[in-house]
Amino acid sequence: MLQELKDLEPFRADVRAWLAANLPADWQDKMRGASEDEHVAFQKFWFRRMMEGGFGAPHWPKAWGGGGFSFAQQIVLYEEIARAGAPRLILYFIALHHVPATLLEWGTEEQRRRHLPAVLSGEEIWCQGFSEPNAGSDLASLRTRAERRGDRFVVNGQKTWSSNAHHAHFCLLLTRTDPKSSKTRGITYFILDLKTPGVTLRPIKQITGASHFNEIFLDDVEIPAENIVGQENNGWAVAQSTLSSERGLTILELAERMRVGFELLLSDAQSPAPAGGRLIDDDEIRRRLVDVHVRIQALRFLVNEMLMQVLRGGKAGVEPSIIKIYYSELLRDFTALGVTIGGAGAQHLQAVLMGGGNETGYWMQDYLYSWAWTISGGSTEIQKNIVAERGLRLPREPQPAGAG
Amino acid sequence: MDFHLTEDQQALVSALQSILQDHGELPQGERLSYAYHHSGLQALLKASGFFDAAREMGALEAALIVIEAARLPVLVETGASALVAPMLLPANEGVDGPVALIAGRDLDKAHRNLPIATTALIDLGDDVVVLPVAAGAIETVKSVLAFPYGRFRRAPDLGAGRRIAGAGPKLRQWWRVAIAAEAAGAADSAVNFTVEYVKQRHVFGRAVGSFQSVQHRLVQCHAIARATYYMALRAAWSGESVHADMAACYVQQNVGRLLFDLHQFHGGMGVTTEHLLHFWTYRVRALQAEVGGVNDAARSVATKLWPAPTVAQQGRLVQAR
Repeated sequence: MLQELKDLEPFRADVRAWLAANLPADWQDKMRGASEDEHVAFQKFWFRRMMEGGFGAPHWPKAWGGGGFSFAQQIVLYEEIARAGAPRLILYFIALHHVPATLLEWGTEEQRRRHLPAVLSGEEIWCQGFSEPNAGSDLASLRTRAERRGDRFVVNGQKTWSSNAHHAHFCLLLTRTDPKSSKTRGITYFILDLKTPGVTLRPIKQITGASHFNEIFLDDVEIPAENIVGQENNGWAVAQSTLSSERGLTILELAERMRVGFELLLSDAQSPAPAGGRLIDDDEIRRRLVDVHVRIQALRFLVNEMLMQVLRGGKAGVEPSIIKIYYSELLRDFTALGVTIGGAGAQHLQAVLMGGGNETGYWMQDYLYSWAWTISGGSTEIQKNIVAERGLRLPREPQPAGAG
Repeated sequence: MDFHLTEDQQALVSALQSILQDHGELPQGERLSYAYHHSGLQALLKASGFFDAAREMGALEAALIVIEAARLPVLVETGASALVAPMLLPANEGVDGPVALIAGRDLDKAHRNLPIATTALIDLGDDVVVLPVAAGAIETVKSVLAFPYGRFRRAPDLGAGRRIAGAGPKLRQWWRVAIAAEAAGAADSAVNFTVEYVKQRHVFGRAVGSFQSVQHRLVQCHAIARATYYMALRAAWSGESVHADMAACYVQQNVGRLLFDLHQFHGGMGVTTEHLLHFWTYRVRALQAEVGGVNDAARSVATKLWPAPTVAQQGRLVQAR
């Protein structure tokens, strides 16, 4: 590890002490099976507490009320948050990462003043309106239409997979403003106030039983032109800033959480086996436990290498794609082992840990939720194509004649 | 063996298919559910005599009925009533279905189909108890698996049932055949449903199903479903317990792969209940864990095929070396 990280040991000790003093020890008990309202209230509480401690917005510039932490400091902070088993601030994910990355690069001064302080106060929750029923991994084929009428735009269309839209006040919205342009051209990026007439939400029922995602229907929704982020028809470039906002820190946090979560798996494996002895005494269970354990270590090496590249000022190439494939498949096998260890009893509906990581010990829900990871943010198949074409420099798949 | 159906078998399957087609529709209000037991269809199949096929025609015909019924998104309990119970119980003894199959060592846990069952067959290891299930004795347990699950409110009085001495191995054998048959039908439907989806769904200007990475894996899924079908039919036809073990072992081993790929190819929709896929895949998933799961099935195959050599055999082996 680089000297820069070694020099941060005193900082690490501070963060660890602060978390020990401030993280409510019983938060998991309280949030297991909590209602949506209780979940939102606790996320707000924890975000404010983190802000008071100076850790709520580590990557934000000081000028806008953030921590102004160096990248190395952020690495240390996220490691410690994961190790402490603190809640994930999922309600604020878009607001804390996507909003500043987008507005600080492309937004007007007025947009920044209007929204950035409100985000840090904990009052403003955001969601994303990118994916559509026919534009997921192939985002550039989006069709939600925005038509200019003087100083306003009228928007019609449908967005989907919008996490936490039912709690959000604003939405980062991608629309097509020039229907004659195809794909990445003719797209405009807006800030949408979700209270605008014509906005309708419909929760999507997930296979886990929960509904974190929503469809957003937009019927003659009027958005003032001053809510454009960047320039009209240049929204694709703006969206790239949004999507590259967190530079590997989220996956670092998830990899660390997985390492902590493995202890849970190991402890469940001590349970009595149906045929006598403990589950961990079974060769098959032992072999799978070791497999997962080793892959967690390999994941951390992959993540470290990518972070070091960023730390040295380089740009990550296909590493994020490789890590996304690696993490999501490992998470699936990890949680599947949890389901095996849990046996039939692990398959009934139980209370979900709201704000927990991806390994909560409620293995059936963890396993089912792991399937979302091989889909969202560019499916495994798309990521493999990226690595094959851009990393291994393999020829592209043939395009059938007439395909767009 | 020849897997080509005889005329009688074809007639049976066609007759069943036409009833299932006309009456097997999932009500609109149940589309977001995890499981829907169609009691009307259950009664209709019973009245039409399909549950008597095992005794009147044979276990193979009963397995075909289980396979066909499992192709529907709605649930009809056929595995235990049409196949396991008739093969287990004496020919003069009728059984009142639906039937729940229960592992005796987990009596206090939740069991598949128990909330709809009127009879339970309880596997006590060596013996089996045939227990009438009283209305009100069962509480429902919520589950994502596409069967109704329930547990006994109070430990049932096994003395109230009829004990069949030494029937345990036979119960487990036909239970495994039923698992393979039900999984074969459900898996086939799930694969077909997904094949249709990837033909219609377009990304990057082309059908999802035109990508080789999707095609190859779907072919493998199809092969798993077909192989399960053949394994189930062989086990039903031969009546050999090791064939039953193999059929269950094969499908229980391969379920994970099948489920993951089929859901993955539905993209984001695959992690919702807003389509029909889970009505099949989550039935197969439930069957994965029964009768000891793949571990017990595999051990059973190994024990039966490769028993420990006798002293005399060992001696000959040493000499041969």
